[in-house]
Amino acid sequence: MEKVLKKDNLRDWVIALSSYEVHAPAFEDEVWNFKQVEKPEDAALDHTNTVKPPKDFSFPQREVYCEFAQKKGEAPMVTETLPALAAPKVVFGVRPCDGRAGPRNDTVFSKEFDDIYYWMRRKKVAQVGLACNTPPSRNCFCTAVGGSPHSEDGLDVLMVDLGDSYLVKALTKVGEEIVKAGGKALGNASAADKKTAAKAKADAEKAPMREIVDIKTVPENLQKNFDSEVWGEMAQACIGCGICTFLCPTCHCFDINDEVTNVTPLRGQRVRTWDNCQFPDFTMHSSGHNPRNTLGARLRQRVCHKFLYFVQNHDTYQCVGCGRCISECPVGIDIVAVVNKVAHDVG
Amino acid sequence: MSDNIYLPKMGRIIDVNSEVEGARAIKTFRVEFVNGDGFDHECGQCAMLSVFGKGESMISIASSPLIKEYKQFSIMRVGRVTTAIHDMEIGDVIGVRGPYGNNFPVEDWKGKNLIFIGGGCGLAPIWPIIQTAVLQRKDFKDITVFYGGRSSRDIMYAKELEKLRGDAEVHLSIDSEEEGWNEFCGFVPTNVMDKSPSPKNAIAITCGPPIMIKFVIQNLKGAGFEDTQIYTTIENKMKCGIGKCGRCNVGKDYVCTKGPVYSWADLKELPQEY
Ligand SMILES: Cc1cc2nc3c(=O)[nH]c(=O)nc-3n(C[C@H](O)[C@H](O)[C@H](O)COP(=O)(O)OP(=O)(O)OC[C@H]3O[C@@H](n4cnc5c(N)ncnc54)[C@H](O)[C@@H]3O)c2cc1C
Ligand code: SF4
Ligand code: SF4
Ligand code: FES
Repeated sequence: MEKVLKKDNLRDWVIALSSYEVHAPAFEDEVWNFKQVEKPEDAALDHTNTVKPPKDFSFPQREVYCEFAQKKGEAPMVTETLPALAAPKVVFGVRPCDGRAGPRNDTVFSKEFDDIYYWMRRKKVAQVGLACNTPPSRNCFCTAVGGSPHSEDGLDVLMVDLGDSYLVKALTKVGEEIVKAGGKALGNASAADKKTAAKAKADAEKAPMREIVDIKTVPENLQKNFDSEVWGEMAQACIGCGICTFLCPTCHCFDINDEVTNVTPLRGQRVRTWDNCQFPDFTMHSSGHNPRNTLGARLRQRVCHKFLYFVQNHDTYQCVGCGRCISECPVGIDIVAVVNKVAHDVG
Repeated sequence: MSDNIYLPKMGRIIDVNSEVEGARAIKTFRVEFVNGDGFDHECGQCAMLSVFGKGESMISIASSPLIKEYKQFSIMRVGRVTTAIHDMEIGDVIGVRGPYGNNFPVEDWKGKNLIFIGGGCGLAPIWPIIQTAVLQRKDFKDITVFYGGRSSRDIMYAKELEKLRGDAEVHLSIDSEEEGWNEFCGFVPTNVMDKSPSPKNAIAITCGPPIMIKFVIQNLKGAGFEDTQIYTTIENKMKCGIGKCGRCNVGKDYVCTKGPVYSWADLKELPQEY
């Protein structure tokens, strides 16, 4: 289903989606981030990309697994705390790279074991994508990792900027419902609209972006150069802050901890929080032994996870080329440069 | 709650035995499930034990799958959760989720000679195979057990090892001389060299401190064992146990699901980062 939406009518579409919680990028404190739309007239899609990816709609920074209570000498009482009441959400303005992160994270949170917390939220998140006619960041490289600035993968709806209006394409059943809900706010797309969108796509895919040299050989070369000294050299400046992975749309590592709110009688919560392979204690055993005890080993883990291990396990790169880990790294560690350097000794 | 992989079932401690005292104390716990819950396991699989308010720890199930009444865990006190478990007594309730990981292909080993080589706490993960082989003694050929501790006070399963004699050849060792010790003095890999078991129709299973495993494998290779005849387990820090939290990987493998059991033939293909 393809429709056209006048830019001024975005407001009406948002109003028509009153049975959903609508989120869209908002510029606050000098950065773009997804925010629940409170006033439909504020909804606009003139953002670059958000600093935080939309992954936390399904995989929030903090998820309470259960509450526990135990009286001395008695068995623990455990109450499951599922996010069953999470409201259905429509998220506007998802960039195609972040859209492609969705199916990758879905794979991780299913496989042999379905993660009920993730899926209870995920099933209620509809992603309305916004194609990139020009790369929103100088560090974009979606095309280098098999994506496209107009990719539909993982999205429910894709919107393409046509100037005064958007071409709105429903891609899933949920997407159709959302588009239908817009009623008269959206009109029928003409042949000319579709042609303009196709041209925008072709131009966007030709636009220069960061490049990974000979991507097909990258996994094998990373494997071959696993023991290279370059890892350590390129990680020298890393301060281990973890920004690169917290902000990555496909990083999914987490920690599980018990938070005690009352000591006697014992009461508390078991909580999952985002964690990070760039922290030394991520892998440190109680004995002090640490299989990844250097900055180089931890950079190698981050890069090999995206460009080698995930490929070996799931036949696709885990990196979607959003460029966040490059733009936001306080010391300028650049995953494209690292990949090119280790795999091909260039960059 | 059954489809929530993160919430443990409840088990009651029915037996506690102190194996080793001191700074690196080891205690063995037997746990029976309550509320009609439970699960079957295979040799080599693990379970996440839970003490609410402290957290969870991945622990090998140290009893044979043939024993259905309880599951056994031998736990070294090293930190927060393991200390809390050591403080527990008979009757206390502990959380258990699992079973996790792959298993030793014990069925394929019927008709073979089994050589077990353990050190320190490393007897626990291989004990279920030893127990299974003894319970099905006729299905296996010769059973040999090498096991060593730092001193005679660090030998775990001391009574059980004595009972094994007859069903198995048992070679104990301690690191340095002690009065009254009649068996081998020296490191486990050296003891293996000393007795030089034959690779013929044999499988060698080794578990213990990483440095011990390294030399045991070296020595077994020297004695003519093929990579496919050598099995071991690896231990990495774990939180989820189900391949999602991202920390336990060796190369492409999350040890919690693809491991902890590896043949040396498979393990040597992975990056040696563990
Ligand atoms: C597959 C496998 C089987 C194991 N089997 C046994 C066993 O049979 N007996 C035994 O005594 N120990 C075993 N361990 C080690 C045991 O899990 C850790 O010693 C224990 O989790 C430490 O927890 P703690 O809270 O006491 O230590 P702390 O240092 O206070 O806790 C830190 C947290 O880090 C994690 N952690 C730290 N070190 C390890 C580690 N080496 N492995 C896994 N997680 C770790 C745990 O989540 C732990 O809660 C096994 C580990 C693995 C991976
Ligand atoms: S953002 Fe940069 S400095 Fe921070 S952990 Fe990542 S690579 Fe290191
Ligand atoms: S690794 Fe970097 S560029 Fe790739 S998806 Fe993650 S944040 Fe984006
Ligand atoms: S313990 Fe979480 S991935 Fe293995």
